[in-house]
Amino acid sequence: MTQPVLAVRDLSTHFFTDDGEVKAVRGVSFEVMPGETVGIVGESGCGKSVTAMSLLGLVQRPGKVVHGEIMFKGQDLLKLSNEELRHIRGRDIAMIFQDPLSSLNPVLRIGFQIDEAMRAHDKIPKEDISHRGIDLLKQVRVPDAAHRIKDFPHQFSGGMRQRAMIAMGLSNKPDLLIADEPTTALDVTVQAQILELLRDLNEQTGAAIILITHNLGIVAGLCKRVLVMYAGEIVEEGPVEQIFESPQHPYTWSLLRSVPRIDSNRQDRLLSIEGLPPDLIDLPVGCKFNPRCPFRIERCFSEPPVIEDVAHAQRAACWVTMTRAYDEMGAANITDTSPGAASGVHPQGRRPAADLAVAPAETLSD
Amino acid sequence: MSFVVFLGIHSLPGNTFVNERVRGASLALLLHEYGLDRPVLVQYWDFISHAVQGNFGVSIVNRGEPITPIVLRELSVSAELGGAALLLTIGMGVTFGVIAALRQNTWVDYSLTTFAIIGYSVPSFVIASLGVLIFGVWLFDVTGGAFYYPLTWDGTYGTVVELTVPAVALGLFTSSLVARITRASMLDVIHQDYVRTARAKGVKNRVVVVRHALRNALIPVTSVLGPLIISIITGSVVIENIFGIPGLGKEFINSILSHDYNVTVAVFTMYALLVGVANLAVDLAYTVIDPRIRY
Repeated sequence: MTQPVLAVRDLSTHFFTDDGEVKAVRGVSFEVMPGETVGIVGESGCGKSVTAMSLLGLVQRPGKVVHGEIMFKGQDLLKLSNEELRHIRGRDIAMIFQDPLSSLNPVLRIGFQIDEAMRAHDKIPKEDISHRGIDLLKQVRVPDAAHRIKDFPHQFSGGMRQRAMIAMGLSNKPDLLIADEPTTALDVTVQAQILELLRDLNEQTGAAIILITHNLGIVAGLCKRVLVMYAGEIVEEGPVEQIFESPQHPYTWSLLRSVPRIDSNRQDRLLSIEGLPPDLIDLPVGCKFNPRCPFRIERCFSEPPVIEDVAHAQRAACWVTMTRAYDEMGAANITDTSPGAASGVHPQGRRPAADLAVAPAETLSD
Repeated sequence: MSFVVFLGIHSLPGNTFVNERVRGASLALLLHEYGLDRPVLVQYWDFISHAVQGNFGVSIVNRGEPITPIVLRELSVSAELGGAALLLTIGMGVTFGVIAALRQNTWVDYSLTTFAIIGYSVPSFVIASLGVLIFGVWLFDVTGGAFYYPLTWDGTYGTVVELTVPAVALGLFTSSLVARITRASMLDVIHQDYVRTARAKGVKNRVVVVRHALRNALIPVTSVLGPLIISIITGSVVIENIFGIPGLGKEFINSILSHDYNVTVAVFTMYALLVGVANLAVDLAYTVIDPRIRY
């Protein structure tokens, strides 16, 4: 059996703010196989980006990885010194970011910024660097690459800048590429091109890709496996088709139902998930999704669910799971998705309104 | 510009010869000799038509001495002082600003910030007066009596002390300001996405700070550099007079007080040129530092 290229175990990243300890990522574990494409989905502020940043040691003060293990090529990245970690960043694990407009340095030429990634490491021979810069731009389909490489970022369009970012990420032939919402700032046609590019590159170079997004459509288009995050935890994971077909966690189920569909009746209201993600400083007891879950039961308020196998290769952290919700609570036909609506559970006299009043202003942005 | 100054200086009451107590016919003779009895407009035309060829005429106080070489010599002294102050402003200001930003909320940051606040709160003439007191009077034996008027001109101005102390007095305000702007701008830039990108590429931390953060942080600093250079130029008038430095600033005051008309206009013209050149240089520096700007 092949070894995973990356194995994250029980990773926790907290931010020590004046208002309290923001537990952005709590006990996240997952593995990525060589050449695999894994999606991490979740709402804004659920800890996706912080997870990605933690992998490369890019979490800035007041944030800190407080616990866990990140095994990459047989070494724990969390135990490395800054200098040792620097040799892995951009060389073996590359990252591309959400906003290509602000992620490129405005005062340096595109070519320089791509070459810099190669010059920072010794993987690519010095004499090949400038040549490879142009080849990379060609590979990510920037027209007239030989000339455009001398441009500054402001002379590139949004899509081209993201291509340049990808070229930069691929420059050292990394084993793993982390793409943090690579298409969020781009319009849909460009989004499709970028995703197609990532897919081709994954096939050609064999680099594993972790794709972080809040867009389920993008996950479906690119990834083989998906991790669903909620309030800093992985609540469900499994093969993409299987998750889309039969989600077992009510959060995943709600997320899938809230995607607008072209074939639905225009008069139908979009189904949103009521309420807001919980305050990461003061988390609910038990299941973190209980204030918003239509299928919650008494147990959800006392014990945090453990992530366990719910089907072949699929795991979910839920006391109820959707199979039971379909069988016992008629989930297939419910129209009211307010908290506890399907199960009728409102412990300690709590009404849905009280549940919805939880989360204060978002403490984290990603 | 020169016209306004020319009219202004000529409309001052009295004339160059007040102190010489000449009256009547001899005064008229003197006025006639220097062409001062002619209408002001004619005098201006005479002056400006020579000035464009680089000849500012002769001094009236120092009877017949050509002005151009004097002003150029004084310009070199002032430029030396101003250059030193500017070097201090950029060098010290940027260095301290960067250090304070990188050590944000530590004792290093707090002491540098406090120092900067003192730096731009204390007026330059206070620092200058203290400088004269300490280095010119108390340390007379060490400095060999700096800031006593040099009797002869031997081609360059002053000793190290005679240059450094006035430069500090002149540049402390501006360097404190630059330090503060650099600190704020570095703190802003260091959290920018492209700095994170540079880190994610595995670039060395020192390179990240200098090449990615500082280069961008210098853009706002450059934009205040124009006004700061002008404040150095105007400040030099005060400083030169306190320290007795034989530069443009000292001549500026002396020539007005003694009604040495053409010298005043020449000095003014030099200042105007300096301000113009400084602003042009800043604008050019801007295009170098920020490629998004094109003229």
